[in-house]
Amino acid sequence: MASTVIGAGITIEGEVSADEELVVQGTIRGKVDAREGVTVEAGGTIEADITGGPLTVAGSVTGNITSSDRVDLQAGARVVGNVKATRITIADGAQFKGNVDMDV
Amino acid sequence: MARLTVIGRGVRVRGRVTGDADLTIEGHVEGEIAVSGEVTVEASGLVGASVAAHVIVVRGAVRGDLTGEEVVRLEEGARVVGDLRAPRIAIAKGALVKGLVQTGSVAATAPRAKAQASAPARPVAAKRPAPPVAAPSRPAAPPARPAPVAPKAAPPVAARPAAPARPAPPPPPPPAPPQQVVAKGPPPPVVPALKKGAKAALKKKAT
Repeated sequence: MASTVIGAGITIEGEVSADEELVVQGTIRGKVDAREGVTVEAGGTIEADITGGPLTVAGSVTGNITSSDRVDLQAGARVVGNVKATRITIADGAQFKGNVDMDV
Repeated sequence: MARLTVIGRGVRVRGRVTGDADLTIEGHVEGEIAVSGEVTVEASGLVGASVAAHVIVVRGAVRGDLTGEEVVRLEEGARVVGDLRAPRIAIAKGALVKGLVQTGSVAATAPRAKAQASAPARPVAAKRPAPPVAAPSRPAAPPARPAPVAPKAAPPVAARPAAPARPAPPPPPPPAPPQQVVAKGPPPPVVPALKKGAKAALKKKAT
C-alpha cells in the first residue's frame, strides 16, 4: 500500500503534486494536486487549494477543493473554502464554510 | 522515535520542507529542505534542493548542498552534485560525488566567500571547484565575479582595485559568462600602447 505520509512535524510550503494517495498529518501551504486522493488527518492542516481525487478531511483545510470524486468531511473537520465534487458528506460535528457545487 | 514522513515515488514537491521529523524521500523534491531529524533520500529519490538536517543518508540523486549537523552518509547508488558539510561524512563504495566535501564543524561556512573573489566561475550551476583556487593567480579575471551562490557575501570590492592597475590593455575575458548580473565597477582604463623610449612631445599648433 503505497501512500505518502506527511508527518506531524513537517511543514511544506510550496506545491505538492502526487500520483498516489496523500496522507497529511502536518502542514501544507501552497497548492496540492493529488490524483489519487488526500486524507487530512486530525492534526493535519492544509492551507491550499486542493485538486484531485477523493478527499477525506478530519483536520483543517483552508482553500478551495476541487475533487473529481467524493469529499468526506468527518467530525472534527474544519473546512473554509468552496467545494466542488460529485459527492459530499458532512458529518455531524464538522465545521464548514463555503459553497458546495456538485455539478448538478 | 520521531514520526516518519514519506514522500512517495509519485509525489513531487516544489517548495520548502521544514519541520522536526524524519523524512524519507522516494519522489521528487525541489526547493529547500530544512528539518531537524533524519533525511533519507532513497534510490528513487530526486532532490533538487539544499538539504539541512541532523543526519542525511543518500541513496539517490541530489543536486544541492547537504549540510548535516551530525553526519552525512552517501551509500551505494548515491549521486550527489553539491557540497557536503558535516562533522562526519561517510562516502561508501559506489557513491558518486561532485562538489566540496568538508568535514568538521558546520559553522565554518565563511571561508568560501573569500576564495570566490577571482576564482573562475564555472558556467555550470551549483558546482564549485573542489579546492578553492588561489585568488592572486588570476589577475586577468574580470572583476566582480561572485560565485553562483548569490547569498554568500562575495566581495567584489576586493577584486575591483586590481582593475585600474593593469599596465596593458586587458586580455579578452574568458568565454564563460558570469552567472549573476552584478553591477560591474568602472570599466578598466584603456592605456594606449606606447613604443619604448617615446617621449612626450607637445605639438605646437601652427598659428
